Amino acid sequence: MSLPSLVAALVALPAIVGAILILITRTSLRNTLVVAGGFVVAAVAILTALAFSNTGDVFFGLPDGIALNQALLAIEIALTAFVVVISLKYRRVVAPILAMAQLSISVWLELAGRLPEPDPGRVFWFDRLSLVMVLIIGVIGPLICINAIGYMRAYHRASPMIQGRRTVFFSLLFVFLAAMFGLVVSNYLPLMLVFWEITTLCSFLLIGYARTDEAIGYSFRALNMNLLGGLGFGLAIVLLSGQTDGLDLARLTHGPAAGALLPAIALLAFAGITKSAQMPFSSWLIGAMYAPSPTSALLHSSTMVKAGVFLLLRLSPAMSGSTVGYLVSFVGLLTFLFVSLVAVTEQNTKKVLAYSTIGSLGLIVGCAGIGTPELAWVGVMIIIFHALAKGLLFLVMGTIENRLYTKNMENLDALLSLMPRVSTLFMIGIAGMFIAPFGMVVAKWTAIRAFLAVPGAAGAAMLLIMAFGSSLTIFYWGKLLIKILSARRQTDYERSIEKRVSRYEWFSEGTMALGVLAATAGIGLISDHVVGPYALAAFSAAPRVFLAIDPATLMVMLSAVLLLPVIAVLSWLSPNYDHADFYASGRSANVGHVMGAALGGIKKVTLRNYYLDGVIDGGLTFRAGSVACGAVLVAMVTAGAVIR
Amino acid sequence: MTPGLYGVLFVVFAPVFGGILAGLDRILSARMQGRVGPPLLQPFYDVGKLLQKSTRQINPIQEPLLLAHAGYMAACGALLLSGTDLIFTAFVFALAALLLVLAAGSANSPFSFAGAERELVVLLATEPFFILMMAAICKVTGASTFGGVLASSQLVAVQLPGVVLAFLLVATIKLRKSPFDISISHHPHQELVSGLTADMSGRLLAYVELAHWYESALLCAFMVLLFNWSVPLGLAVFAVAYGLEVLVDNATSRIKWQLLLRSTWAATLLFCGGNILVLFVMGR
Repeated sequence: MSLPSLVAALVALPAIVGAILILITRTSLRNTLVVAGGFVVAAVAILTALAFSNTGDVFFGLPDGIALNQALLAIEIALTAFVVVISLKYRRVVAPILAMAQLSISVWLELAGRLPEPDPGRVFWFDRLSLVMVLIIGVIGPLICINAIGYMRAYHRASPMIQGRRTVFFSLLFVFLAAMFGLVVSNYLPLMLVFWEITTLCSFLLIGYARTDEAIGYSFRALNMNLLGGLGFGLAIVLLSGQTDGLDLARLTHGPAAGALLPAIALLAFAGITKSAQMPFSSWLIGAMYAPSPTSALLHSSTMVKAGVFLLLRLSPAMSGSTVGYLVSFVGLLTFLFVSLVAVTEQNTKKVLAYSTIGSLGLIVGCAGIGTPELAWVGVMIIIFHALAKGLLFLVMGTIENRLYTKNMENLDALLSLMPRVSTLFMIGIAGMFIAPFGMVVAKWTAIRAFLAVPGAAGAAMLLIMAFGSSLTIFYWGKLLIKILSARRQTDYERSIEKRVSRYEWFSEGTMALGVLAATAGIGLISDHVVGPYALAAFSAAPRVFLAIDPATLMVMLSAVLLLPVIAVLSWLSPNYDHADFYASGRSANVGHVMGAALGGIKKVTLRNYYLDGVIDGGLTFRAGSVACGAVLVAMVTAGAVIR
Repeated sequence: MTPGLYGVLFVVFAPVFGGILAGLDRILSARMQGRVGPPLLQPFYDVGKLLQKSTRQINPIQEPLLLAHAGYMAACGALLLSGTDLIFTAFVFALAALLLVLAAGSANSPFSFAGAERELVVLLATEPFFILMMAAICKVTGASTFGGVLASSQLVAVQLPGVVLAFLLVATIKLRKSPFDISISHHPHQELVSGLTADMSGRLLAYVELAHWYESALLCAFMVLLFNWSVPLGLAVFAVAYGLEVLVDNATSRIKWQLLLRSTWAATLLFCGGNILVLFVMGR
């Protein structure tokens, strides 16, 4: 099959599956369809990747006879109507205003005849970055959908107060994937904007799933912030509609943007920053933690936030060397620093994972803003590793949460004894996120190398941010690891916990874990055949070696990734180890984890991690970061409009 | 000699260096306290004896974690000397240190856990410095490897006085000298008992010692990087600095972790960050 028809199938298939799912109320039938649909979508995504000849970018259009602009306008009217109706129902004001503002822009563009029909051969753009994104969305996305079958069953069992609406839930997951596929292959900007808004709405509905006051509040926060970003996108289209080839993304980002295009580039970057939850827009993603874990996994790994950094990486060649680019970069790096500070004060494991996502995205944004082939390469590599590892971590966290009834890091004590196999998967996720080449080491190392070449105080500031931010990540991952790795004798009840994990969860989490290991092992192949050529093509740069690592260094890195999982496996292979008493000034009574108290009697031992109380105030830091990044963001948009 | 051979030499001889340094440390400390002190080779005798003793393990994963801790410390030095990128070695250094924290924390016991948490604070306090030091050295010399820095005509310490100053502070912490010995101490009968190693015995403790010897040798190699115009000069400066550390160790009492974190970050920002800012602004 040809690439265009496969891409069409990619967008259409999940949308059709989603449409059918909303009609099915029988659980067993739904589960079958989710699994089958997931496999088909993954197969088509892989076929699409294989069909891409990998020789150069492919552009293609729609069949004749489709008036694209009218069709897009019709969809936008429908989306806006939906936002207005649901906002009226919940008495919210901001969202409908933003949605109406954007619709009026589109209507005005159409009525004033400002929007020419796109070049029929260049509506879609498929290059190696699209390839990476299609594989991430198409493989990780379905795995999350399959995992959700097991998760949602346990979720509703654990929280009987919440009204089940699984029909809508599963339907939305697939529609979300369809919109993401469309987004990453769009070349005509108004088309991308429509997909962009569909992902905004899908995430709004998914976050609000539980329909409690809290859930509704958080979902509207996400909606407002992302609609604001969408408005920026819309304004950029207004500015670009007057320019030749302005709405053709590939031509727009062919090289450093000319002065007249910079205001639009700045607005598009603004949209990307809101979507990728950079400060001051981070709170929507933190609020989204309230949603069921598969939603978090989806938002964090393969959809939503990845759309934001995808757009910024697309813009990277255009931002190269400009003030706008530098300021975008600072928004990302400052976000990385501030959220890492906040993360060390956080006890809720899901929120720690969320802060870590925002930090990783900050690094990608920091890389994209500077606009060099090396940094774009780092950005895409982080996207790949982050999608796999973070997807896995959220799914595993979901499994743990529904069995231990806690999200608190302090309650994950001795997880390795309680849920040894799940802990091993957790370890692989943490190793992939934090120790793997593209967690802790190569990404930050290459980024620091590149920032060394940035002249003036900006370069020095970037180095300082990287040094402190990286060290903070070690602190919060270290704390989590201590809790998981600690040991304690378990009761019979505790020994049975792991038996209640569903096969859907084992399958999806196991596959993701294998994916993390495979990506780490195949890092050279990924770099040489996909990400390296992408970076060279995007910047029209001379060939160079991106991953110059000698074998000894590579060995050290790979062994580091395998170390924690291997240790975890070793520990559950020898579960009958006779644990000795710990030292407690001669007053240990280890059975039941207790020790002699000062005035006689025995006390249970409770060990609590350090959260740097008194040194770092999480809430204050979050607000300070939002103010700082907000100021840089205002400067960025202003610079785009003023500096030529 | 090929750079790879230097790496092998580090793995073999760094423990000898570190062990003798520890022996000298104990003699010097004893003299300062008006005692004679143990023989120079006492640390080797100690480790030999620890290896023969029976080992009680609270958590079976402690042993592989501690082996990996010593292994990555050795690998870090070997990579550094065999010409791996300097900034990369700073990350391996942090990873090696983290493994000790995990080994102690996994015992899930009061003293070990407190030691592990405090060592994590130590890691948080010192890691920014090491990354910045390596980045600054690369910036000044334009080189990215150990050999490249030694061959450079730029005198690193002259251009990085702030970094040298901060290094003296951070080295005190890394060598676990008072007032910064918050996570572990050789002196018994204090609030932490022995902190990190409270639940390690026998060969586990021997691995910790071995890793610490590698760590001392690594810090010495870092000093050579800073005084790159000749290796003997770097070693001499390290010797003087180490003598000062012992003096400080004997003259001060332990501080709280909050003060350690604040003061180290402040020093890193002020001295190291200021130094780097000047470098960048002057356009070097």
